[in-house]
Amino acid sequence: MKQLEPVVHIIDDDQSFRTAVGRLLWASGFRVALYESGDQFLAQFPDCEHGCVLLDLGLPGLSGLELQDRLAEKAPLLPIVFLTGQGDIRASVRAMKAGAEDFLEKPAPREALLEAVERALHRCETRCREQDRIHGLRARLANLTPRELEVFGLIVRGKLNKQIAYALGTSERTVKAHRHNVMEKLGARSLAETVSIAERLGLVDATADPLRR
Amino acid sequence: MRTRLLDATKGRIDLFSEFLDLSRFPESEHVGRMSGYLSAKYADRRPDVVIALGEESARFISANRKNLADGARIIVAGFSRSTAEEMGLPSDVVGAFSEFHIVKTAEMARGLQPAARHLFIIGGSSEFDRSWLATARADLAAFSRDYETTYLEDLTIDEFTRRAAEFPSDSIVLALTIFKDRDGRNFVPREAVKQISETANAPIYGPYLTYIDYGVVGGSVVTFESLGKTVADLALDAIAGKPVSSRESPQTYVADARQLQRWGLSQKNLPPGAIQTFKEPTFWEQYWLATVTALAVITAQGTVIFGLLVERRRRRAAETESRLRLLEVVHLNQSATAGALSASIAHELNQPLGAIRSNAEAAAVILQSERPDLKLIEQILVDIQDDDQRAHDVISRMRGLLKKRGEIDWQEFDLNDVTTSAIRILHGEAARRGVVVSSNHAPRELPVRADKVHVQQVILNLATNAMDAMVDVVTAERRLMLETTLTRESKVELSISDTGSGIPDEQLASVFEPFYTTKPAGTGLGLSIARAIVETYGGKIWAANRPEGGAVFRIVLPLARSG
Repeated sequence: MKQLEPVVHIIDDDQSFRTAVGRLLWASGFRVALYESGDQFLAQFPDCEHGCVLLDLGLPGLSGLELQDRLAEKAPLLPIVFLTGQGDIRASVRAMKAGAEDFLEKPAPREALLEAVERALHRCETRCREQDRIHGLRARLANLTPRELEVFGLIVRGKLNKQIAYALGTSERTVKAHRHNVMEKLGARSLAETVSIAERLGLVDATADPLRR
Repeated sequence: MRTRLLDATKGRIDLFSEFLDLSRFPESEHVGRMSGYLSAKYADRRPDVVIALGEESARFISANRKNLADGARIIVAGFSRSTAEEMGLPSDVVGAFSEFHIVKTAEMARGLQPAARHLFIIGGSSEFDRSWLATARADLAAFSRDYETTYLEDLTIDEFTRRAAEFPSDSIVLALTIFKDRDGRNFVPREAVKQISETANAPIYGPYLTYIDYGVVGGSVVTFESLGKTVADLALDAIAGKPVSSRESPQTYVADARQLQRWGLSQKNLPPGAIQTFKEPTFWEQYWLATVTALAVITAQGTVIFGLLVERRRRRAAETESRLRLLEVVHLNQSATAGALSASIAHELNQPLGAIRSNAEAAAVILQSERPDLKLIEQILVDIQDDDQRAHDVISRMRGLLKKRGEIDWQEFDLNDVTTSAIRILHGEAARRGVVVSSNHAPRELPVRADKVHVQQVILNLATNAMDAMVDVVTAERRLMLETTLTRESKVELSISDTGSGIPDEQLASVFEPFYTTKPAGTGLGLSIARAIVETYGGKIWAANRPEGGAVFRIVLPLARSG
């Protein structure tokens, strides 16, 4: 897992504005990258880098909201902080619903800007860590045999060994052995932990899949 | 006069006549009442030109011009230049003067009566009559030497008629005026002349047209037509704002055919160009009678017709009013535009303000570091200044957009410049709406004379309309094009085209009507205001559909100068 210093990507068509904001963040200790358009950002954005996006809502060409949609696919972990000078409530609501991290009105004072950026970066870090953990769990899940997977699915739904044995047409002893293997392979020390892992992997409730935002 | 005035102005004037009746009611109470009455009557229709016919009316209007016709051009008519001089009229009053050349009338008489030996000159006892007699005495000094000359003055009307009956038949009788006889009886001169002529034993001549049909043979007179034409010409020049100066109404010899017959005078002895009246009864002569009557009112009786020409003034007032209204409406329109553009204007202001703030904060942070990068600080300060200028420019554009006018600020400017400044104002809004703006300027200066802010407003109206028309077009296809050209007719043209859905053909003409709108939030005033503005500056505006789709609005304005 690479731990590069996070980058604040500033996308604003106004050269003077993005330079100034870039300077402020740079002086405040952040790595910054400047882009004049959403297209330029998409073209230059390096995958898998930690950071956040500071995005002008009223971008010409590819608009802020359109870029948000594109990033949801391309870089779902990258939090977006919108900057707007227009107080456009409809666009703001849409941006927030689409998962915007924050919404700042131009001209944003330093404290608000830094706070929003820090929060966004923290969010990014959390998301990345979570994603890493899920990746690990997925890898462990892949070690389970089909039978163990079946047993796992029933355990986390609160079925007793007896019920599982009945459902699978096998003995309670065999179920116990499967159950032991499942917990060992997933690295769970208790039933509660096992359920939690299943939940994070989205196996309990099919409608909530944390792997796909 | 009325006919001439109405014809020449194609009926665009209003003519009012007022009969003052000052000779019969010279009392100051009457004059004051008349003044007050007329002042009230014409309070809302101040005349441009006042034509005062006769001395009393000339005096009256000169004395009361402030109340009645402030600023109006005053034309006086129906008396002589010398009378005018005696009256001491204001210096800007011009006259269509009638010189009553008694000598010319006398010469006409001599031509008709080559054998005459006696000359009688008749005049009344009023001040005017006396001064006329004095003038005639001087003018006839040479002429009268060939005759046995008698001045009949200071007589009562009965004495006049009695003496007239005793005239030798080889007499020439010249009638001046009798406003009053020795007894102080007032007369309309032609009535007195008529009475005298009835008993007279010799032909009577007079220098007044009004004496015709009142028993005189004729004379050298200013005809109604001639006077009317002179007055009308002066009035027309005055209305047109041309410099006017006093002139003399041309005279004509007029003779009454019936009187020639009565005295056995030969018409071939009439001076060339003489007009004979009552030669045969024609419609014209009946009309002539009417005119003579009318003229009698004007001159002989010393009464007054007061001609007020107000239409131009009223039109001017209406123009002023409509201009003020236009200014009001344009200002409302400006405010509405500013309102509509407020979001993009706020954005345009926020950009430099945000940059200034961030730069200043960055500088503060940098200065707190151990080894501040002073080069960077310097650059930051330069950038702050630039952004401050940028914000300032936005605000001054706004101010220009909202500038309220009390009067049209006429100036000559390059249409290209105004187009550029309008685009600058719209730039933010266009960006916000995803509209690409392009412009194509004529390679030369396009000077027009108008109010810059108004022309800019026209462009803004047309351009925002065009942007509104492209709401349903995919973003990449929203294009607004402004183009300026010099037409072959040496007019300045600006076209604004869009890539919207165009205008249904049957609506192309009605889009400029007030309250015509297709937009749910539209007022329907933008285009009608645009048209009002363009027409104010002598231009034209029209709409069309482009063959490649979308609408195009064109405005054409006159070129301010050819150069």
